[in-house]
Amino acid sequence: MKHAMKSLPSLLAAALLALGALAPVAHAQNKVQIGIVTALTGPMAAPGVFQMNGFKLAAEELNAGGGFAVAGRKYSIELKVYDTRANPSEGATAMQRLATVDKVPVVLGELSSGVAAAIAPIAQDYALPFILTVPTGPNLTEQNNPYLFRVNANNHQLNVALADFLTKQGWSPISFIAWNNDAGRGGVSGIKELLPAAKDGYVGYFNLGEVDFSSHIANVRNSKSQAVMLFMDEEPGSLAIKQIRDAGLKLNLVGTLAMGSDRFLKRLDAQKLDGMLQYNAFPPNADVPRIKKFSQTYKAKFGEEAHGFSAQSYDGLMVAVAAMQAAGTVSDGKAIRDALAKLNHAGVIGNIKFDAKGQASPQVYVTQWCANGSRRILYPDNAKAGCGAG
Amino acid sequence: MTEALLEQVINGLMMGSVYVLVALGLVLIYGVMHVVNFAHGVLFTLGGYLGHFFFTQWWDNYWVATLLSMLSVGLVGYALERGVFRPLNGNLRNQVIASLGLILALENAVIALWGPNALQWKVASTEQLVSLGELRFSVHHLGIIVLTMAMITALGLFLKHTRFGTAIRATSQNQEAALVVGIPVQRVQWSTFALGSALAALGGCLVGPLFLVFPQMGDVPLVKGLAGILLGGMGSVPGAVVGGLILGVTESVSTLFLPTDYKDAIAFMVMVGILLFRPQGLWGQRVRGEE
Amino acid sequence: MPWMALLMLLGVLALAPWWAAQQPFVLHMLVTACVLVVPAVGLNLMLGHGGLVSLGHMGFAGIGAYVAAVLMVDARWSFGGAVWAAMLAAGAAGGLISLLCFRFRGHFFMIVTLAFGLMLHAVMNNWDSVTRGAAGFAGIPRPTPVRWGDEVWSFGPLPHFYALALAMAVIAFALQYLVVNSNFGRSLAAIRQDERLARSRGVNTLLYKTAVFAIGTALAGMGGVLQVSFLRVAAPASFTMLESINMVLIVIIGGAGSLVGPALGALLYVALPELLRLSNEWRLVIFGVLLVLITLFAPKGLAGLCARAWRRVWPPQSQTPAGAKP
Repeated sequence: MKHAMKSLPSLLAAALLALGALAPVAHAQNKVQIGIVTALTGPMAAPGVFQMNGFKLAAEELNAGGGFAVAGRKYSIELKVYDTRANPSEGATAMQRLATVDKVPVVLGELSSGVAAAIAPIAQDYALPFILTVPTGPNLTEQNNPYLFRVNANNHQLNVALADFLTKQGWSPISFIAWNNDAGRGGVSGIKELLPAAKDGYVGYFNLGEVDFSSHIANVRNSKSQAVMLFMDEEPGSLAIKQIRDAGLKLNLVGTLAMGSDRFLKRLDAQKLDGMLQYNAFPPNADVPRIKKFSQTYKAKFGEEAHGFSAQSYDGLMVAVAAMQAAGTVSDGKAIRDALAKLNHAGVIGNIKFDAKGQASPQVYVTQWCANGSRRILYPDNAKAGCGAG
Repeated sequence: MTEALLEQVINGLMMGSVYVLVALGLVLIYGVMHVVNFAHGVLFTLGGYLGHFFFTQWWDNYWVATLLSMLSVGLVGYALERGVFRPLNGNLRNQVIASLGLILALENAVIALWGPNALQWKVASTEQLVSLGELRFSVHHLGIIVLTMAMITALGLFLKHTRFGTAIRATSQNQEAALVVGIPVQRVQWSTFALGSALAALGGCLVGPLFLVFPQMGDVPLVKGLAGILLGGMGSVPGAVVGGLILGVTESVSTLFLPTDYKDAIAFMVMVGILLFRPQGLWGQRVRGEE
Repeated sequence: MPWMALLMLLGVLALAPWWAAQQPFVLHMLVTACVLVVPAVGLNLMLGHGGLVSLGHMGFAGIGAYVAAVLMVDARWSFGGAVWAAMLAAGAAGGLISLLCFRFRGHFFMIVTLAFGLMLHAVMNNWDSVTRGAAGFAGIPRPTPVRWGDEVWSFGPLPHFYALALAMAVIAFALQYLVVNSNFGRSLAAIRQDERLARSRGVNTLLYKTAVFAIGTALAGMGGVLQVSFLRVAAPASFTMLESINMVLIVIIGGAGSLVGPALGALLYVALPELLRLSNEWRLVIFGVLLVLITLFAPKGLAGLCARAWRRVWPPQSQTPAGAKP
């Protein structure tokens, strides 16, 4: 009896806490809130910045000149951003809030496939279209979710392009050093299926936060590989490459999306990078008008070279707005979704058209660093360009 | 194959040296206060950040920056001992819980103040290379091993041959007896805590230039340092050294023939396995009634 | 009388789908709180009542989660069956692993539980063929709809799932109450206070400790199943060392050893970011500082603080002349 008596005040406190979190919401006039989910903190915070930059750039452009027109009225964009910390539960909470409290018409973003997988079903529950701009896990678009769309290439598409190129080079064996997360592991397993030369190579995984690659490097050396592929982001990537070069390992380096950017170059010097290849969604200096224009605007605003994640995110927001315009509504999720399914949009990363599973098929490039710190484009053949135009 | 083995052993010695620095701080504090400060890893991280701060903002001399960082973190350690650990003396569970709270508070404060991105700390010794046959290492790499050895020797001499060192050893063996003989136990406690924290900061400053300064940089060394002292025997300084080095070398060599994504799990399994047969660790002593 | 208060609170919570109908986000938060509270009750039994500080608790939640995921998706089991299997698996794993851990004492014990939590996470992250690895195990279904005569009650809509989550939370608390107020619970309290003395009185301490560890991890497993059925995805990121530390935080801040502690801790953990619109880092800094302050000044956590405040408003009978009796 005494036990439960002591619990009484606590129970009341519990009830008060539950009630205390009711939050009223107000919407401004002629403003459309677009939901953004991304990692602003935690280990994925660095790529998160690129993603946010793309969204910010698009929002600014849309708002300049009074906004964009939908069914005769002009609207401006406001971004409602939530930090998911690369945690699925936080992602679900954020999405739930966007759907029921903020009541946004469209949600964009996310970095991590695991979190996106927790968000996608909620999109379907509330008929709220969710447009991915960075996660590459192929199974995301395999869940028969009509409210899920992806602007960027998934792991499978990236690997097909890269494997095509690598097979032509004839390097064998090929080793891997990869992040022990969805991007790294998914990348390795995907490309091993497509690349017979990878069979005899070494595969090394490292956990987020680990920074010493010496054991991996020793094993790569031991396997006598002609190339090593690095599936990781720019921070560990710069360390890995420095250590590989310092160790005197003379082989070809192949990297991911994150290793084609200028910011990456600043961490190392061009000598160390010389000759390294990467698959790239977005070569910022390519001599293509849509790319050039975006690169100039990005550089003017952020003072550094544009990054693939930013281009993808920029396109994502533009696609969302185009769909709202086509559907003639800024609030009907289902109508917007239908418009997205039929959309044919000329984006910065190329033409965006979603297939039946919601996946777009942007062009994947392979670029290479030159000794002077610029890049050249090696693949596809019809897009080849020399140093400085990559 | 022997060359690969040699390379991995040297790699292992280097990472092991870092674990040893963390382990030494932990074991000194444990000996004198019977508390495991789980927030030790964050002190390592803080050391790295402060070293970077002093280097970039005040005086770009690596040694000066490191020394300043060690002093600052030592002060932080003193504050923690007086403010948090001394009041909780004797309550093991609450001390551990409090240190978990410190981890959360300090690690996130670092992120809030410095941002989530990694910082670069460009020091000359990381650029200069040394060749051993076909293998190449940076001067900084080998320097860590040499410095840690020097540190260990200095510490050993300090503990054995100075009055204060002896006071520390006495307090580790038996706190009450030390009090009886007139040793200022409280002073020994807070100064050892400060010393241990400074060692952690040294670790952060050594690793920072080589591997980038980032908020989670102390997490792995903490866990490996803990494993090292468990392996070597809680309360034993030579045990901490041997435990840390064994752990580092085993980890590196294991990547030669075991899947690397399980590297950490394997290291822990080895540790648990050894402890099952020798629960006091390799160097520790079975003390009756000791927890 | 106090039972009335308990029933009232339960009534309020049970009616949440109605009073929160305009704010489904509140329901979502309450479900999240239930998902956290189930493993928290388990850890409260281990830590608060049994004195066993486990720093790897969420690893066992992960065992439950993935066992259920594989059974529900690959073998097409029902939710009910999967929950039983998950609890069994997590409980058995907990019991076995605890036998290894009990060879160590004090700090050793905690460090070894931490190590096991890390090892379990590594398996979840790396065993791609079974757990789908780091990308997560997507496509986990909500429980199959239940038939009531002509009506079909599906668990897709949030209020319906909330009913299930609340029910499971209540079951967890009921289990805790039964354990604590039984002979088993009393022996456990004796062991927590002085293990050597208990052993000298003939209590088989190893058996009791293993049993409470297994019960605690079984509850963690139950929480794991609830979580992945709610999120519809199982990802290793939900079961890391950080999440295990968060769980300890919830139990301690709520009040370790008190019956209601886990509920207070879970609600605070879920509600605080909404009440204090701060950046994520500062929120965690506050939690950390709160934890330190609580261990220093209020070791009985929120439950203890509430009880103290209550006693001031409503002093026990023997003291006050003017009879304000509950």
